[in-house]
Amino acid sequence: MSRRDLLPLAAGVLLAAACVVAAGFVQAGAGARLGRTETDELLYYPSGYAVRQAALGYETAAADLAWLRAIQYYGEHRITDQKYDMIGHLMNVVTDLDPRFTQPYVFGAFVMAQELRQPERGLELLSRGLRANPDDWELAFQIGFLHYVCTHDYRAAARYFTLAARTPGHAEYVERFAAWTNERAGNADLAILLWKGVVVNGNRYMQDVARRELRRLGAM
Amino acid sequence: MRRALAITRNTIREVLRERVVLVLAVFGLAMALGAQALAPLALGEGRKIVIDFGLAGSSILATLLAVFLGSTLLHKELERRTVYAVMAKPIRREEFLLGKFLGLWGTSGLLLAGMTGIVIAAVTLFYATTPWGAVPSLGLTVLELGIVTALVTLFSAFTTPALTAFFALAMVTAGHFAEDLRYFAHQGAAPVVKILCDAVYWMLPHLEVFNIRGLVVHDVAVEPARLLFAAAYGLLYMIGVLALAGAVFRRREFR
Repeated sequence: MSRRDLLPLAAGVLLAAACVVAAGFVQAGAGARLGRTETDELLYYPSGYAVRQAALGYETAAADLAWLRAIQYYGEHRITDQKYDMIGHLMNVVTDLDPRFTQPYVFGAFVMAQELRQPERGLELLSRGLRANPDDWELAFQIGFLHYVCTHDYRAAARYFTLAARTPGHAEYVERFAAWTNERAGNADLAILLWKGVVVNGNRYMQDVARRELRRLGAM
Repeated sequence: MRRALAITRNTIREVLRERVVLVLAVFGLAMALGAQALAPLALGEGRKIVIDFGLAGSSILATLLAVFLGSTLLHKELERRTVYAVMAKPIRREEFLLGKFLGLWGTSGLLLAGMTGIVIAAVTLFYATTPWGAVPSLGLTVLELGIVTALVTLFSAFTTPALTAFFALAMVTAGHFAEDLRYFAHQGAAPVVKILCDAVYWMLPHLEVFNIRGLVVHDVAVEPARLLFAAAYGLLYMIGVLALAGAVFRRREFR
């Protein structure tokens, strides 16, 4: 390339770079001046059903975008006003788009229960997740956990821990939770049954714990 | 068939001359950067997000390539008048069209396979598990691409490149609303409207049949019957559209 050709090319590149930088300043200035707040923006956040129609077969990718947006929303409010009014709506959008995506049910439920002090809403979201994913032991376990720590409804907690313990693929600690909670809820027979299950299926440490509990309950 | 394959080879060469392979390099770079950038933002869901965006991105890119490259393929032959030289040889117009279709489908299919390979490699590299479910998903997306390419071939047989691209994208979009169209038509519409909507419903490509991306990302196994059904539907739809394209192209006058 000759020097004569190089000059207009360099001028073009420089002009383009200058325009991009100037456009950036204009955008930043306009953003600050117009001052659109987060809540204003999210008031127009569409429903999961509407996004599903517009996603044209790419619902799970759209769910991921909504998930990333929801996490940003949580993060922004956590370091500022700690108000999470839209979190339920955001999680509904994510789970409407991808009902098999279980993390948003759990995350959303815990934010509503712990940060907003609205465990009923959290339990509602988790129950919706469990209806969509009946084979997911973790959702049943989390419902039990919220009942245990937030609503102190030990009977309900025991019911869901037991459901989680009966779902294939569950983690080993689930049976322990189920047994202890059933005992606390007054279901001694069920607690004995679950501890016996731990004796059969648990590791050596858990078997020791289970035997001790069975002895305490007078079943050994 | 041998003559159609000669046109296919030529079409592949022509498409590759457009430097579409660059798409692979850009896609690979975007996947590597995306996997690194998204992981800390996704609260432990980085793997799902990389697979989702990777499969969606590769499918969208391959579809757009097929539409925009395909819309000009036939037009260029007519504009440069190279079609006269080809038609002077003992080759039927339908064979010429079939060759063009196979060349375009083959190239966009290979690009799609390359992009899916990049997704599988990126997930294996960054998350230490290989998403094998992406392989049957690739197979079905190639079939979906075949339908899109057949539609592009049909429209390019009788209209301009811009309208070809517009009609093809409109068909792809409308195909996703086919179920809604039928549902609303059956909610108390007049019998004539119902019949018309049913006709449109069956004519539109049901591209959802080929969509198993939602299962792949959650490692849910896909039933072989579903794959076979999708393959049968895709091949039949493609053959139907190509037969129509052949009939239209046969009557086209070259000026």
